Amino acid sequence: MSETEAHGARIGAPILAVEGVSLTFGGVRALSEVSFDVREREVRAIIGPNGAGKSSMLNVLNGFYQPQRGVIRFRGREFHGMRPRAAAEMGIGRTFQNIALFRGMSVLDNIMVGRNMKMRGNVLQEALWLPAARREEIEHRHAVEEIIDFLEIQHVRRTPVGRLPYGLQKRVELARALAMEPSVLLLDEPMAGMNLEEKQDMCRFILDVNDHYGTTIVLIEHDMGVVMDISDRVVVLDYGRLIADGAPDVVRGDQAVIDAYLGVAH
Amino acid sequence: MASDIGALDTFPKLLLHHAAVRGERPAIREKDLGIWQTWSWSQFAEEVRILACAFAEEGLKRGDHMALVGDNRPRIYAAMCAAQCLGAVPVPMYQDAVAAEMAFPIQNAEIGHALAEDQEQVDKLLEILPQCPTLKHIYYDDPRGLRHYAQPQLASYDRLREIGVEARRRDPDFIEREIAKGTGDDAAAMFFTSGTTATPKGVVLTHHALIDRARAAAEMEGLTDRDAVIAYLPPAWIGQNIFSYAQPLVVGYCICCPESAETLMTDMREIGPTYYFAPPRVLEALLTQVSIRMEDAGLIKRAMYRHYMEVARRVGGAILDGKKVGFMDRLRYALGDIFVYGPLRNVLGMSRVRVAYTAGEAIGPDLFKFYRSIGINLKQLYGSTETSVFVCVQPNGMVKPDTVGPAVRGVELKFTPQRELLIRSPGLFKEYYKNPQATAEAKDREGWFHTGDAGYFDADGQLKIIDRVKDVGKLNDGTLFAPKYLENKLKFFPYVKEAVAFGHGRDRVCAFINIDMEAVGNWAERRKLAYTGYVDLASRPEVRDLIAECVEQVNADLASDPELAGSQIHRFLLLHKELDADDGELTRTRKVRRGHIAEKYAALVDALYGGKDSVHVEAQVRYEDGRTAQISADLAIRDARTFAPSAARKAA
Amino acid sequence: MHVLYLIFVDPFMQMAHAPDLLVQTLWDGLVSGVLYALIALGFVLIFKASGVFNFAQGIMVVFAALTLVGLNEHGVPAYLALAITVVVMLVLAVAVERAILRPLVDQPEIILFMATFGLTYILIGMGELIFGGDPKVMISDQLRLPSGSYRINMLGGFVQLQKIDIAAAIIASIMVAGLGILFNRTRIGRALRAVADSHRAALSVGISLEQIWVIVWFAAGIVALATGIMWGARSNVSFALEIVALKALPVLILGGFTSIPGAIVGGLIIGVGEKLGEFYWGPLVGGGIESWFAYVIALVFLLFRPQGLFGERIIERL
Repeated sequence: MSETEAHGARIGAPILAVEGVSLTFGGVRALSEVSFDVREREVRAIIGPNGAGKSSMLNVLNGFYQPQRGVIRFRGREFHGMRPRAAAEMGIGRTFQNIALFRGMSVLDNIMVGRNMKMRGNVLQEALWLPAARREEIEHRHAVEEIIDFLEIQHVRRTPVGRLPYGLQKRVELARALAMEPSVLLLDEPMAGMNLEEKQDMCRFILDVNDHYGTTIVLIEHDMGVVMDISDRVVVLDYGRLIADGAPDVVRGDQAVIDAYLGVAH
Repeated sequence: MASDIGALDTFPKLLLHHAAVRGERPAIREKDLGIWQTWSWSQFAEEVRILACAFAEEGLKRGDHMALVGDNRPRIYAAMCAAQCLGAVPVPMYQDAVAAEMAFPIQNAEIGHALAEDQEQVDKLLEILPQCPTLKHIYYDDPRGLRHYAQPQLASYDRLREIGVEARRRDPDFIEREIAKGTGDDAAAMFFTSGTTATPKGVVLTHHALIDRARAAAEMEGLTDRDAVIAYLPPAWIGQNIFSYAQPLVVGYCICCPESAETLMTDMREIGPTYYFAPPRVLEALLTQVSIRMEDAGLIKRAMYRHYMEVARRVGGAILDGKKVGFMDRLRYALGDIFVYGPLRNVLGMSRVRVAYTAGEAIGPDLFKFYRSIGINLKQLYGSTETSVFVCVQPNGMVKPDTVGPAVRGVELKFTPQRELLIRSPGLFKEYYKNPQATAEAKDREGWFHTGDAGYFDADGQLKIIDRVKDVGKLNDGTLFAPKYLENKLKFFPYVKEAVAFGHGRDRVCAFINIDMEAVGNWAERRKLAYTGYVDLASRPEVRDLIAECVEQVNADLASDPELAGSQIHRFLLLHKELDADDGELTRTRKVRRGHIAEKYAALVDALYGGKDSVHVEAQVRYEDGRTAQISADLAIRDARTFAPSAARKAA
Repeated sequence: MHVLYLIFVDPFMQMAHAPDLLVQTLWDGLVSGVLYALIALGFVLIFKASGVFNFAQGIMVVFAALTLVGLNEHGVPAYLALAITVVVMLVLAVAVERAILRPLVDQPEIILFMATFGLTYILIGMGELIFGGDPKVMISDQLRLPSGSYRINMLGGFVQLQKIDIAAAIIASIMVAGLGILFNRTRIGRALRAVADSHRAALSVGISLEQIWVIVWFAAGIVALATGIMWGARSNVSFALEIVALKALPVLILGGFTSIPGAIVGGLIIGVGEKLGEFYWGPLVGGGIESWFAYVIALVFLLFRPQGLFGERIIERL
């Protein structure tokens, strides 16, 4: 069985879906009646020209925005709007387009914060450094170190994040999201501003995460080459509307998509 | 060391010895997931036994060869020893070789078993699998990315280990019996020299050769089992094997494997190795990092640095050499140690270094003296794969920047009339594998190894290596012309990036010089000289004067050496473009391709020797992004001052 | 010439002349420094974790002290009153979180700052309404706080150390140590630091902003209560105390807005500096150094090291 076939066989049933989602802010229609699903363990790309509503879509999935209409389905349960904390607790992790890291803290601390939800200890135990707290800390540190090893950021583990170059910051953000052990990872332009080599590295990491941890990936991406290379299915948005949904090479040849990118009015 | 060492004539026997005598002491450390994991000698020996049983189960036989491709990891070294237990020969290969380069060694040695570190190496091996029909077993250590690989040859290290544990249970004495069958004359390892011109040759080294040389050097330096070494150079390189495999197995000290190349500095600081090796370019890069950080530091720090480095420059080397130094100077140096040198050594990770070696290429005298001046006992050595490394080593107290030291115990040296160095030593290689012709060419009937290096003994009896014999020429008056030696001396100046010397069969030496854009650019900006690019900068008379100064300093140096005084550089020009491997002027390893350059720029050479003042050149230049452009320039030719032999002082 | 002598030589000679007075002045300076530090600490806590400069910190000190004394006046036994005040501070924290922080969570920091302005006047109003505007006496005896002083003969004279001051120093140290442990060693502490840095990111990893804010304001409230008790024990409990809180600003500039050790060190430096300045240089300028000395130091720091002694150097990546 070839590698792609093996990968394809692993994709499961839909785990996340949006139905008829519409989002408006102050008169602007960010999303109109968008419906699509995301299958377990697949890599789903959301593409579209600038202003098409891609980030808004991610924000809806993650709970930063509540849609006026439509539902979000996650693992069979229906929601009319998420809250960010609820989304995180359900296993939806996220990175941001313009990086939201804890700038004053080291890489290690940033990723440890990602473990926050998994930590059970109470304040008193931790303050007194009781054995139970110590065990927990070691357990979480181990998990974090595995992620650091996985994303090859050992050499900067104690550096304050604000001092790192852009490409490494993006990787640290990914690491922090991974620390939550998410079942779905929402990546908002993970490769923005990177040069070719950094993009290749990031692609490799994303695919490795998908392969090794079985995480479903939803990513917003502008680079068509990347999209073609790593995604299983693609959603195309334009002016808040869904205009195509399918395998990358199908979508690429779709006339509506071509028109959208060329700015042809429709 | 124990007195019965005569019986410990193979590495596996040495391993068992250490497991018995110092079983609890650390043998190998590896930084994994942020913490240092330690294997003691008994744990390491146990792992080796299990692996050896596994390899035997998998069909590895006495005399077989086994490939090891990867970075420094305890498991790679365990595999090396495990193979040797069975009388098989490990063949470490460069982890950054491309797949095509790996094919020949595997075919040549008919390798059936290979241990690869990770997916990258496995991919390469799979790529050449069709050309290597003998390769039947590929084991991998790091399983990341390999989950879906279904090739029948692949097996994980863990799986291998399971097999070994099972086999060991069935026949617990098997390994000890196999180890007993080995003797010092067996082949211990095979290293392929990267052939730049011809096909690579597999250098076969016996246990005896490696152990003998390892012991000779270890005794000379007083290495003990409390020493620690950081293993960061490629395992396929003979030096890495000597420092991190042969010598540890002879002496019993601990080797430490860093987490990754990027974390090397931090890891070194944490470990504090006592015994260290670095090629000159690594030492240079470290110094550059320090200088850059110094430029960023506050006023007080920079002033202190400048002041105390001056003190170090004056007396540091002498103090380290144990020479007489005045009391006030010693006091200043001691203060400097507290404020500057100590912290510097700490930042470099060399606080505990007792012995540091460098070798492989010429090292700039300033760079060499810098390290010694801050209290790091940096010394030079000379050797090669074929000689199990240690031929000459500078003992403490006899350290000079431009020699490589006297012969180590047991080594005989002599020169041919062409000044080629011949070596006889217990550490010599047995043969080039399956290449009797090359072996006969290299080792003559009396057992002398022809190194291909040219050199001579200096006044103190230390060996001075000048150049490769085939590159060494003669001027018309019979003076030794060693182009690479001259070019290296020029390149030690930061303003000179590359140089090509001409002189063979000529009356005088002349040179092409490439300026270093960055260094000269900075220099120009500080003098408010505007320039529009490489060509413009290289054509400025001020820059020519700057380079002339460098050339004249080299000349002054040469004048003080009677052998080389006649090869001072008389004329030079600054090239209009940097020499480039893409244009065929340099090899991929940045070595100058003399013949090609002489042909391509014949007009320039003629102008130099024809006494002209300038020469016009038209050339096509390719920029990094692929664009090409025409350059048209007049290159000025400059005469340089030369000095009377031995009567010269350093030019001001 | 004589002026130079007066400024640079005479004060030191006076110090040498009567070393016991010097020690006394130093001690007094340290004591007021500790109290400045405590107030600054409250600011640092809230600023560090919610990015809000809490203008109301000073009034929280008064409010806490008033609540304590007021309850006692109405017949509640001292320790019960203390416990109830703690609960009140918790309620206050929850109320602040619900009514101010939650609705304004995405607004710029200046809006939140203005909201704390509003909070200040609400608390002043409530305080006056419930407890009246007269100065009150701290219930030191009922709380079993030590009174009286130690008289130590030394250096040719004597030094008087008020026991309450010693107690204040000890309690402040314990509180600082406790907060230090909280911030650095616990998961809550890490979450606190995270929230201080980026709300969005903290939300996306499932940290409850609401919970963190309540914790932080409650901690600041406890610090305010301790400060109120200590300060009230030395002088009175009145709204004038709020002005003292303004002194915390130079302390924060000196020590860095986000550093707990900075607040301590800054407070001590300002406290000692003020007292020394007033005692030895005050006569030269007719007194009043104490009121402006702190601000001069702050100004100097703003010029040369705006992040303070311990604050984080903000490196902007362009």
